Amino acid sequence: MSRAETVRVRLGKDDEIRFVSHLGFMRAFERAVRRARIPVAYSGGYHPHPKISFATALGVGMTSEAEYLDMELDEAALGHLSTRDVLERLRLAAPPGMPVIAVCAADGRPTLASRIEWASYCVGVHDDVRHELKDAVLEFLSSDSAIAEVNTKSGQRRADIRPLVRDICWSSNGALECTLACGGRAHLRPQDLIAHLHSMQGRGGGPGQEYEPIGRFCIHRTGLYFTDREGGDLVSPMSVECRDLVMAGS
Amino acid sequence: MVNKDLLVTDILPNVSQPARYTGHELNAGAGYRADAEATLLLAFPDVYEVGMSYIGFKILYDIVNSNPAWAAERAFAPWPDMEAQMRQHGIPLYGLETGTPARHFDVLGFTLQYELTYSNVLSMLQLARIPAHADKRGEGDPIVIAGGPCASNPEPMAPFFDLVVVGDGEEAIAEIMSETAREKRQGAPRADIVSRLARIRGVYWPQARNHVERRIVTDLDSAEYPRKFVVPFLEAVHDRVALEVMRGCSRGCRFCQAGMIYRPVRERSMNNLCELAEALVGSSGYEELSLLSLSSADYTRIKDLISKLASEYGPQGVAVSLPSLRVDSFSIALARDVEKSRRTGLTFAPEAGTQRMRDIINKGVTEDDLMAAATDAFESGWDQIKLYFMIGLPFETLEDIDGIAALSRRVLQLGRQVAGARGKAGRARVNVSVSSFVPKPHTPFQWFPQNTREQLVQKQSYLKDRMRVRGLSASFHDVWASHLEAAFARGDRRLAPVIERARDLGCRFDGWSDQFRPGLWQQAFADLGLDSSMWANAEYGYSDTLPWDHIDMGVSRAFLVREARRAENGLTTPDCREADCSGCGVCRGDVRVRLAGAFAGNPSQGGGRA
Repeated sequence: MSRAETVRVRLGKDDEIRFVSHLGFMRAFERAVRRARIPVAYSGGYHPHPKISFATALGVGMTSEAEYLDMELDEAALGHLSTRDVLERLRLAAPPGMPVIAVCAADGRPTLASRIEWASYCVGVHDDVRHELKDAVLEFLSSDSAIAEVNTKSGQRRADIRPLVRDICWSSNGALECTLACGGRAHLRPQDLIAHLHSMQGRGGGPGQEYEPIGRFCIHRTGLYFTDREGGDLVSPMSVECRDLVMAGS
Repeated sequence: MVNKDLLVTDILPNVSQPARYTGHELNAGAGYRADAEATLLLAFPDVYEVGMSYIGFKILYDIVNSNPAWAAERAFAPWPDMEAQMRQHGIPLYGLETGTPARHFDVLGFTLQYELTYSNVLSMLQLARIPAHADKRGEGDPIVIAGGPCASNPEPMAPFFDLVVVGDGEEAIAEIMSETAREKRQGAPRADIVSRLARIRGVYWPQARNHVERRIVTDLDSAEYPRKFVVPFLEAVHDRVALEVMRGCSRGCRFCQAGMIYRPVRERSMNNLCELAEALVGSSGYEELSLLSLSSADYTRIKDLISKLASEYGPQGVAVSLPSLRVDSFSIALARDVEKSRRTGLTFAPEAGTQRMRDIINKGVTEDDLMAAATDAFESGWDQIKLYFMIGLPFETLEDIDGIAALSRRVLQLGRQVAGARGKAGRARVNVSVSSFVPKPHTPFQWFPQNTREQLVQKQSYLKDRMRVRGLSASFHDVWASHLEAAFARGDRRLAPVIERARDLGCRFDGWSDQFRPGLWQQAFADLGLDSSMWANAEYGYSDTLPWDHIDMGVSRAFLVREARRAENGLTTPDCREADCSGCGVCRGDVRVRLAGAFAGNPSQGGGRA
């Protein structure tokens, strides 16, 4: 890893900290880095900040096994630490509910955040609700467009969400698995998809009625992806331009 | 255990800041176990982010959880949105660590930091399904104990507590836990456990109205201090390593309760502080290390300490900070050392606008001190200075209020000159914060009435008119809030039903200006046929029996009377660290001033803000 400046880390967010905000999650990781005595680089200026950048925020109330971040190391300290060292130190220092899943060396350019295009989720669904949603999922996938109410920072608006959904399927244990647009260019929140599927069944909130399925459905992020430049396939942030990948438990 | 599924699916998604209610922070204890010998729920009657900022709360939590036979959890006042959800869904008050309902703990310990949290104490007891009145509690109910600075006059809340701990809690909490464990083992009935605990030194038994002497830890180095802090995911108000460099302040400001009830000054040694800093920085990962005390610039080895900590932890990305500054050049030099940024502004507390009034309150700060400190601050690159003043002090005249405006303008003018030399005169700003004097028990001013609400409103508007200058901004504390604070600070047991009534009317979080509803408090007083001014505006005579006379904080009544008379005559009393003993009466036996080095204060330069 002597040539690397950036390490890429994959974290999880477990059930016990699902209500921690993205800001709180980031701050907790920064403190773990300091406890782990990992020589992270700091920004200059009056208020130095560790150079850590997360791929994308996770909604409050969701769990995840795919929170990625890039962390720039202090050049002076390079060469002494392997990605294995970083992984082990972080695992010991991380707070409860924040498993450190994998670490690799990365180029860090272009930024992680700008390359993320898709996110996959696994949504726990009650048996009775599953039957209602099954038809809606089929109808949704067979149509070319789907105008839905979506929540954005500036409030509710109507948008065609069909292009933002790459895939929906049912897992063997009855959970709904979906791959949705994620990132700055296009983004769909899984709870907006669920609310829309519900409304297709004549369920869910009427106009002006808040329908917030985040509590009743266990939404778990399973992956974040780049798009392969050639074939358009989904690729993991740890599979391209990365070296020295180490995983917890391996 | 409370119903966690219900919390996750129906409640937490619908409340603000749900992480207040979920626990599982780094370094949190394992919490309640049925086989623990004694269990404690530490209850803080304000919101999580406030409660998680108090060092006393962390100390007690750490002491109890360090003993493998005991278990402590934390509970904070739920914000009104969460309280409504808990009531609607039948969720009782619970400990954050395991979700165990408050009722299951042996001891429920409330921290009373501030009078305007009293309504929250009662709403928390109600949510806990514990009878509010101690005499209505029985077998199976936790023993409800209070501590903290407001325990120095517990009377307005006395009927609600089985016991009250007066003074330093480090030793008392351990004695309470081990006595409780012993009595439980012997199968003692609840009432017997309460009366056993009431015999512990420093414990007040409201039912017996016993005379009680404040507990004092003689040597802080050998007292327990956490090596680990619980690190919140939510940003606490003070979210940092707090290193208590000393306890107590003997500057002797006559309005300041903390300056009386935490005497004598007990400094930690440099070695102890460096060892604690090392452990706490390493176990928390915090980015800030704050030197905590009533006036940290007074710590006798403050320069050595700061340079040592800054050189050790600066390279690790940890900033050292100094929360309280004296009004002098020495403090500015310290601030220059620790504050890389000049953007946040500096705060000084001259407290009064004229020398006559500063002598009355024994705030040893002269106008020259303030001007010298302000010059240093502006010249060092700070463009903003914040000034703290009080109105409504004893013997105040209109001249003293004019003095606040005049002094503030002079500081601003100075800032314009200094900043003007750099071509940035317009950048200089002075923010003035004006609070209303609240007479507090165990101070030389305890006998004096607070100004009436009408007087305070008038004085505020008079001062406001004189502060309308570009670059000067003034903010004023809410008059009703200060008035209630005075009533409860100086109150007696007749206030208890008023607080209960206010809780029923919906008063909560009275210290929060967006939640405070003085109209409901007025109604609560009226419903009981009482008037809050009976306490806030009462003038007591030096020989009168006061509602808190049986609570002995160590400072003698004779000293307080002497200080009040000296105030009347405009006489100052020097700090005993640099002059003769002022005879406050607190030093007895092992209890004495303990300094880590030689005190080098300048007699004309006053202490930090309480």
